[in-house]
Amino acid sequence: MNYKFNWALIFSGEYGRWFIDGLSVTLQLSGLSIILALFLGTLLTTMRISRVKPLVWLSVGYIEFFRNTPLVVQIFFWYFGSDPLLPEFFKEWLYRQNIEFATGVIALSTYTAAFIAEELRSGILSIPKTQLEASRATGLTFLQAMGYVILPQAFRIIIPPLISQFLNLIKNSSLAMTIGVMELTYMARQVEAHTFHGFEAFTVSTLMYLSLSLLVSLAINQYNKRCLHVRSR
Amino acid sequence: MTKMWKVALLMVVASFFLGLPGAFAGKLDDIKARGTLIAGVKDSQPPFGYVDENTKQLVGFEPELCAALAAKLGVKLELKPVTSATRIPMLEQGGIDLIAATMTHKIEREEKIDFSITYFPAAQKLLVKKDSGIKSVADLAGKKVGSAKGSTSEQNVKKAQPACDVVSFETYPEAFLAMKQGKVVAVTTDAPILLGIRNSDENPDNFAIVGEDIAAEPYGIGLPENDSDFRDFVNVTLMEMWKSGEYQKLYDKWFGEKTKFYIPLTWQMEVWP
Repeated sequence: MNYKFNWALIFSGEYGRWFIDGLSVTLQLSGLSIILALFLGTLLTTMRISRVKPLVWLSVGYIEFFRNTPLVVQIFFWYFGSDPLLPEFFKEWLYRQNIEFATGVIALSTYTAAFIAEELRSGILSIPKTQLEASRATGLTFLQAMGYVILPQAFRIIIPPLISQFLNLIKNSSLAMTIGVMELTYMARQVEAHTFHGFEAFTVSTLMYLSLSLLVSLAINQYNKRCLHVRSR
Repeated sequence: MTKMWKVALLMVVASFFLGLPGAFAGKLDDIKARGTLIAGVKDSQPPFGYVDENTKQLVGFEPELCAALAAKLGVKLELKPVTSATRIPMLEQGGIDLIAATMTHKIEREEKIDFSITYFPAAQKLLVKKDSGIKSVADLAGKKVGSAKGSTSEQNVKKAQPACDVVSFETYPEAFLAMKQGKVVAVTTDAPILLGIRNSDENPDNFAIVGEDIAAEPYGIGLPENDSDFRDFVNVTLMEMWKSGEYQKLYDKWFGEKTKFYIPLTWQMEVWP
């Protein structure tokens, strides 16, 4: 072992700024994807329990497809594989934008939505069926009953597994580096390539991911306790 | 308890002494005693180092350079494939005796290993579609450029053209695919590597290597830190090869006019009197 640790190097000059830039991209990527995944997941669950057969099939097909293929394959498919399917005039405009970041958001949110949908369904199933029947009996439509009565309760029940999904998404966002999105892991590798101090570079990125994840789960738990007044089960 | 401490201490001291002989005997003696020179080369970077389709053997410019060094020492040659990420750690741990793997001689790398004199003067260029209208780095303003991670190419191009966006992929073939699809307008790295990528395409004539030298990338042989006898041997052998014309013959075989990787020999190796 003749490895000389050099922690100061990692924070010196532009390397420190690279880490901050990377963290900021990871935050944007994860934040946007979480919001989109929540919407898409809710939509899929609503379709799944709607009893309209084609919608159910569509939702089941989607969930099984996205849950059972590796995320990195999906990312490559969205980025490289989608090319022949796009019309020529649209492509030219699209590729001048930040297509790498956009592809990352699409891949992460469509993938995570499948998991969220399944968790939300189990949350809904845990609410007595009579509640839906009672709300329908008062004259609410199916969507109104879902929106005002069922979903608010279901979301509270699934907060713990939902936190896991958020944390998974934050960690999965590191895969976006395979298509050149300059997020935290990308930057850590960049610092490693320039300084040859891999131990320090990846320790810093590990600590950043760890604190980010802990902060997210702490924040949601606090929100759950303070604002929603849910007794811990 | 105290007894255990003593035993532990003894073991630590003993391990120091066991480590010493290897550290002080020169690499040259090690190689001669072993009877083989172990060289780290690339296995997918034609024509520098790659696996031949027919013979399944590691061949190329750099393996043959290593063969010349081994012949000079009178030992056999063993080739080990390395990547850009593994080559320096492997040399440091002693798994290989030297690195001949398209490695740019950079001052930062001197912290860990030593280098021979330059044996190949690569330069960073741009690979573009022929009809793209891009002629030089100046044309890259506001456009996206592809490269591979861990390379110096992306930093260099950013310095030469601050107004471009660099997108880094895992490998150069992926960067090339992104260029073919139009997601980036150019791929940038050392010109010989660009030639290799271009020739891998079905229609190499659709693409061109253009632009001024964005940065010099002089390739040197990576050697263990602080072993000047070994370094002298490698340097002197390279210069002798240059003076005897053996180097030019080797260069012509891999980069000459009749090859797919034609790069005119326009430089002079540093030769000490």
